[in-house]
Amino acid sequence: MAALLRGVRAGRALRGLSSGKTGPDRLCGAVVAAPTATTPQCSSLSRGFHRAAPRLQDDFKSDKPPPSSSSTTFHEHYQAHSAEQDNTATASHEGAAAEQASRPNTSYQDQSGEQGEEYETEEQLQARILTAALEFVPLHGWSMEAIASGAETLGLSSASTGMFNNGAGDLVLHFITQCNSQLTEILAEQHKQVQLGQAEPKATADFLRDAVETRLRMYIPYIESWPQAMSILLLPHNIPDSLKHLSTLVDDIWYYAGDRSTDMNWYTKRAALTGIYNTTELVMLQDSSPDFEDTWNFLDNRIQDVVNMASTAKQVQSTGEAVVQGLMGAAFTLKNLTGLNQRR
Amino acid sequence: MQRAAHTAVCGWSNVVAPAMIRRCLKCRVPLQFSSRAYSVVPTPRDSEEKDMLDRILRVDHAGEYGANRIYAGQMAVLGRSRTGPLIQQMWDQEKKHLQKFNEILAENRVRPTALLPIWNVAGFVLGASTALLGKEGAMACTVAVEESISEHYNSQIRALMEKDPERYTELLQVIKEFRDEEMEHHDTGLEHDAETVPGYWLLKNAIQLGCRAAIYVSERV
Repeated sequence: MAALLRGVRAGRALRGLSSGKTGPDRLCGAVVAAPTATTPQCSSLSRGFHRAAPRLQDDFKSDKPPPSSSSTTFHEHYQAHSAEQDNTATASHEGAAAEQASRPNTSYQDQSGEQGEEYETEEQLQARILTAALEFVPLHGWSMEAIASGAETLGLSSASTGMFNNGAGDLVLHFITQCNSQLTEILAEQHKQVQLGQAEPKATADFLRDAVETRLRMYIPYIESWPQAMSILLLPHNIPDSLKHLSTLVDDIWYYAGDRSTDMNWYTKRAALTGIYNTTELVMLQDSSPDFEDTWNFLDNRIQDVVNMASTAKQVQSTGEAVVQGLMGAAFTLKNLTGLNQRR
Repeated sequence: MQRAAHTAVCGWSNVVAPAMIRRCLKCRVPLQFSSRAYSVVPTPRDSEEKDMLDRILRVDHAGEYGANRIYAGQMAVLGRSRTGPLIQQMWDQEKKHLQKFNEILAENRVRPTALLPIWNVAGFVLGASTALLGKEGAMACTVAVEESISEHYNSQIRALMEKDPERYTELLQVIKEFRDEEMEHHDTGLEHDAETVPGYWLLKNAIQLGCRAAIYVSERV
């Protein structure tokens, strides 16, 4: 059973990977067939899973009437399945998959394609729609129209925007999450290079500057509409999420920069980087220099400030210690001179 | 054997679909590159487990940090007296514990508690003020604090054993080892006339109440 679920999950993942236009049914059928146990009980259970699977798929498919012919043929296939249940499950699975693939499938979204669609969760579907919607942001801004257009490119009806309770907020947060994961992948790759000895480790200031620059460059295609996105993020119901994303971003950057502190430095470093990131983002919005040179210069200067402040703080501390020691020494000398130190 | 299983899991995780890795990256756990194959804390499977482990490690780190500062306070007052070497010895063990937890926190990207400056000052003040009551006062403080800490470690051990003793073997080992050393300190305190300090019962309970409050807060903040 566990093997079956793993197979289903692998199939789902593969489904997410595939472009979706190359008949994933056959793929899924084959994938599910492989780890399927030969017991009939398992296959009937899995059939039960498939039936119980996202019925919500039907909600936004309802206005897209499936071709009646293919639905009846699906029913026929299903009857055939139940009849074949007593035979080896693998044979029936593969048979069904082959049959479905051979049938002319104009759209893989309709109910007869349920075999493939059901491996995708609602979250993954939402993610796909939002990713597709990003194309339309320069045109429609961060809005429901963009999401609707995105849904349409995937072949879904624009009524599927009903899935998104938060509307444009969902789109912006999805984009931010995507940028953060991209950055984490890049930083992880660099980290691996350094560990393998194929690259030199960068100085902290340079690392921070490069990481923030890379991350902010992801906004360049959307820079015209980014003020709108920022104002959406400032809406009260979006603030907790956007703060969470910001804090994970800053934590990731510091982790890969090599910060392993476990005291107040943990907090001060992250607070400093958050300040740098936010101010640089704001500067970027108003920057009109070629390739945002002014922004990167600003970023450079702010990071230098922080580095200077850190070294100044260290200097102050060591000076303070030296002064204290000097005073103690002076007091001790005074005590000696006045004879207070002698024990009688 | 544990190590082999762990590296096998790491190997499997590299084969898994990118979607799962993305979810794990969202979990923000060093999935693909902990610099050692062996680590005390297992990689959390979901955010719930990460939260639980975070809380455990955060409060343990705060506890060792506080204990460190308490002994520092005691040494500041009694450092040059007869009990100096004894307190120094106990302090050294606490330093070792703190270092271990520092490593674990850094490895697992656990946020340290934001109240560390408070524990810094409070611990030192507690240690110094009880030491001003004399050697017995310092020992009484030690007894109270170590008893609290042992109780706390015991409840953590119980919780982890209830969840999955196999999975948390190394972590349990570390906690058990530390708990045993804290009990040693507790017994040492009793041996050195902790109970003869005037107001022992009051002092002990007050300190233990403070410790319990500190533990409660450090888990969350």
